Amino acid sequence: MPIVYGMNHSSAPLPVREKVAFPPQLLREAMTRLKGADGVVEALILSTCNRTDLIVQMSPEKASCVLTAFLMRERPVSGEELERHCYLHVEREAVRHVFRTAASLDSMVVGEAQILGQVKEAYALAEQSGSIGPVLDGLLRRAFSVAKRVRTETAIARHPVSIAYAAVGLARDIFGDLADRTVMILGAGKMARLAAEHLIGNGVSSILVANRSYQHADDLARVLGGRSVPFDRMLQEMQKADIVIASTASPQPIIGREDAQNVSRARRGRPIFFIDIAVPRDVDPGVNEVDNVYLYDLDDLQGLVRAGSDERRKEMVVAEKIVDQETEAYLGWMKSLEAAPAIVALRQHVHDIAEHEVSRYRARLGALSPTQEDALRQMVASLVNKLLHFPTLALKRSAAQEGGGRVELIREIFGIEPPSRTGSENGGADDAATEPAESTDRRDDR
Amino acid sequence: MDWSLFFLRIALAFYCLGFVSSFLPVLARLNTRRVTPWLASAGWLAHTGALVSLGRALHRCPLGTIPEVLSALAWSAVLVYLGVFWRYRLEVLHIVSLPLALVVMFVSGLLPEELIPLAPSLRPSLLRFHLTVIIFAIAALSISFAASLAYVLLDRVLKSKRPSRLGFRLPSLESCDSVGQVSLLWAFPLMTLGIVTGAIVSAGMNHTLWAWEPKETLAVVAWVILAVVLAARLVWGWRGRNAALLTIAAFAAVLLRVLGVY
Repeated sequence: MPIVYGMNHSSAPLPVREKVAFPPQLLREAMTRLKGADGVVEALILSTCNRTDLIVQMSPEKASCVLTAFLMRERPVSGEELERHCYLHVEREAVRHVFRTAASLDSMVVGEAQILGQVKEAYALAEQSGSIGPVLDGLLRRAFSVAKRVRTETAIARHPVSIAYAAVGLARDIFGDLADRTVMILGAGKMARLAAEHLIGNGVSSILVANRSYQHADDLARVLGGRSVPFDRMLQEMQKADIVIASTASPQPIIGREDAQNVSRARRGRPIFFIDIAVPRDVDPGVNEVDNVYLYDLDDLQGLVRAGSDERRKEMVVAEKIVDQETEAYLGWMKSLEAAPAIVALRQHVHDIAEHEVSRYRARLGALSPTQEDALRQMVASLVNKLLHFPTLALKRSAAQEGGGRVELIREIFGIEPPSRTGSENGGADDAATEPAESTDRRDDR
Repeated sequence: MDWSLFFLRIALAFYCLGFVSSFLPVLARLNTRRVTPWLASAGWLAHTGALVSLGRALHRCPLGTIPEVLSALAWSAVLVYLGVFWRYRLEVLHIVSLPLALVVMFVSGLLPEELIPLAPSLRPSLLRFHLTVIIFAIAALSISFAASLAYVLLDRVLKSKRPSRLGFRLPSLESCDSVGQVSLLWAFPLMTLGIVTGAIVSAGMNHTLWAWEPKETLAVVAWVILAVVLAARLVWGWRGRNAALLTIAAFAAVLLRVLGVY
């Protein structure tokens, strides 16, 4: 059954997490080694700055020691630390954990979009390295669809998770596509640079930098692939900018209401968006009252993020319900697979009887035309299929609900030997998945 | 069986469903807005069927009575809305266009089916032309109105610095503005043509080119506002909130003229 062993931001402090985290270039081989560990059938490792999860398919008895030993071998971490900070989720809890992780409910910032991409990367790596099989494959695929459901059916991903997200969201509200927009940066400090990089990452193409020290402006412009502007020509150049990010160290505002009015007039009313992340502020608050000019300072953005986090908390309740639902559905499906060996045995058994009886009485029928021969075969096959239809359904249903009670009963009724436990669980699962095709194949074989 | 009535009821049912589906996401956690344009399209097809079968049954262009004119107005409003929607994907248009079409159709059902009196000297084709032009002008203007309304709403949300309490995302300011401008560019010449032909029709009936009746005055007020908005946009490069507010005012005047005065 699926098992998750690992640590996340709430169970372990950063110093421990960074010791356990796998460097990306080692991840693939590590997955192969994990699959080779004692008792592990399938393996996947999800390792980000906030979590390291070993997601494996194995029987739960040995899981804890095998996985602890694996982490101690691979990473410079002590057994005691692992014991203190790791969680072990089995079956239902493991499924739920994977679903919650992919849906970003287990993230430090709930609703952030990155984690799903990271899970997808880990899945692709595991697929390449051949460390996952049908069970984890099914689990991960299901997790992606759960994540999608949560994103579309709740508003959890609709609210900004950080100031930078909030600013980009606002810019999109004003301008739609940011692709051919111009952004102007006032100041050449670290904050200005980060903000600009974030906007570039979201498609902004042309960049102007103005700073009191022209040299610094020039340097930053070169790094960002933009153009530097002399500080005293700032207001003229601002007419070209759709977004202005202000983060100078000036003790008093450098852009007043009048300035904004002039700029807006020169832009013929096209909207302009001021993002003031400087403390003390660079842009006079009155600027927001100018028509077609929008000003957000640090507090405004933080307010949006805070409101967003309240909304997300409300949405989490709905999202958790979706995850619960999906977990139950998934477990039900898994259990219905467990009935597969019994179903296969039952069909084989009845089929054999039919074949045997046909060959016994065939001689008494005398010579048959090929059409008659065909008809006889089809009759037997369809008799078997029709007789077995409801027992098969009953087996699947009972397995999905309460486990193997009815399986024993049906074995007894049909006189089927209990299976020798040689075939792997997965072999059975595969059979069940291809079951209808198989029965037709059999008919054609003979 | 009266096919035009049958089609008209189907059209009404689809418009109602479309209207409900566009509003449900605001009230409940249902993502029904995706089906709205399809419902509206289905309604529009049925509406087309209704107009065609009415024309065939009456053996004339179905623009002879006030209810018929209003029904055609709703039809063209939905047509223009669908065209603009498939091009620009502005979801907010649902919320304005469908109720508008419904209101106009509802009012058309209340009015008596009297033929518009025609002076014998007047060619009926001129009246039909006048009505067709006016109908499309109003339809284009209604889209401009919807986009302007969205602009004003979003502007308020952004200025208030609080996250939107609406159940849906508004389109960006820039796309509202450009849809508003493009549809205005269509509406204004049509409206001008409509008013001029209207004056000629009225001259044919009353023998005066211009009687200072309230309905005519309202039409001219609307036209003047439109002219100002357009001039402001094109000549002085006015955009944004004030242009949107003026467009809303112009549409209100036109709507009063259409629904209130008859």
